[in-house]
Amino acid sequence: MNKAFEKIALIEGMIAAALVSEEGKLLGWCANSVISPDNLCFIAENCRAVLSANRAEQRPAETGVVAFGNRTLVFREGPAGVFIAYLDSPTNDAVLAWLFDQVNPLLEAEGM
Amino acid sequence: MLQHALIISSRREYAQSMRQVLLTLGNAQTWIDIELDPLRAMQVAGQQYQLIMIDALLDGMDGLQLLLLIKQHAPATKYIVVSDMADEITRAMAYQNGADFFLERPTTPEAFALALEGMKRLFKSNRVEQAPREEGPATVVSISDIVQMRCLSGDSVLLMVRSQFQSGDIFIFRGEVFHAQYPGKSGEAAFRDMLGWDGGHVRIKVVKLTHIPPRTIEVPYRQLLQPVETKEVEKTETRPVDGGLFVIPEEAPSATSSLSVVKEAPPREDDAPVFFPDPRKLSGGETPLPRVNSHWMVNLSGDLLEGSQVSEPDRCAFITTFIYRKMADVAVALEVDYFDHMTLLGPHLQQVLVADNMGVRHAVFDTAWTTEERRVQYVKWCREQSF
Repeated sequence: MNKAFEKIALIEGMIAAALVSEEGKLLGWCANSVISPDNLCFIAENCRAVLSANRAEQRPAETGVVAFGNRTLVFREGPAGVFIAYLDSPTNDAVLAWLFDQVNPLLEAEGM
Repeated sequence: MLQHALIISSRREYAQSMRQVLLTLGNAQTWIDIELDPLRAMQVAGQQYQLIMIDALLDGMDGLQLLLLIKQHAPATKYIVVSDMADEITRAMAYQNGADFFLERPTTPEAFALALEGMKRLFKSNRVEQAPREEGPATVVSISDIVQMRCLSGDSVLLMVRSQFQSGDIFIFRGEVFHAQYPGKSGEAAFRDMLGWDGGHVRIKVVKLTHIPPRTIEVPYRQLLQPVETKEVEKTETRPVDGGLFVIPEEAPSATSSLSVVKEAPPREDDAPVFFPDPRKLSGGETPLPRVNSHWMVNLSGDLLEGSQVSEPDRCAFITTFIYRKMADVAVALEVDYFDHMTLLGPHLQQVLVADNMGVRHAVFDTAWTTEERRVQYVKWCREQSF
């Protein structure tokens, strides 16, 4: 798993990324800044709560994109858990597709 | 025990340090909010915080004046004023404006420890004052509201339910009701019985779950709560008169339900969206509102201010506020300002939330006919509206 995140860390604009299991376990992470693994877990848990609340409201969503100024938090829930990526750029649908085109094969290679 | 507190400070790192300190005064369920913006702080301070810790000097505002304003809306809250200046004038003004505790900003571990001791004393005295009230009727809560809130939050808790004559337990694990029991009954039947105890208004003690409970209830919590709501409606709204049925509303509609709302449905090309208040009264911009399934706006206190095609106003306001608060916590963890806008992409629906200092707008789009351009247009439209 760490090998996947070593490569994810190299994706252009990537500040931090993590995969957190349903049990809240950090399955893998990387950070090109001082964001701690604990904080990444905390962020992923909040994202999971948002997705869970939307499911309960009959508006299921699997991907979220949150713009904080020029930075963006992307999260997506999959079978292995919640994947989060914090990017140093705004995003649009093309950027999202570009991001997951790179991330998905790396996670899949590790069985996620 | 500290349950829910707010820190108002312009210093992010300091606020986070104080958050850690305050968390030691509570338990696993303690929730500490941080507000860096005085305007936003004024909006949210009306919520039921047990404690508000406020800097005497904030960016763009005098913290002591802010204290005076907030105290009017939340007089029962305890207030701690933190100041860099420990002079007598500041101290006197803080107490005059309603502070319960004045704290010179601690800068060393020893000073932090002393400050913590002072705060503990404040809560000890507070607990003594509150003890008799805990036994009174104020602690009676709606069981379905508590279950719904805990499930929506994705919590894992044990609800110890006590009615006038019986007591039982409800186990919620990761936002779903897993198990319920009371002497003589367990499972779904027990849960449904408990919803009816004392008309649904009981005393509840919440304990954090440390283990996965046995699962005897497979039904989603919404479904569990639904039939009870229906029964209540039937019971209160229909009465036989001369062999016929007449709908007699017993309760005045709530503030939000009095708004002119219609059922959520895909918009029709030929109809202008139903909107309140009158769109002509809004200070609009040049960008037209894109086609949406529904959209609404809440202020930072969680009140629904306006909306279109909103089927359940209270639920809409709740979910928007819930998402906003969760993302506010994320912003603090990332050490950034609150989010500008947020998109949630689902197989059937897409949602866009746009936030500013005064509130959050929330729109729901149908994935089948939504493009990125429409979502961007909505964000632009929101920016041109005056919150």
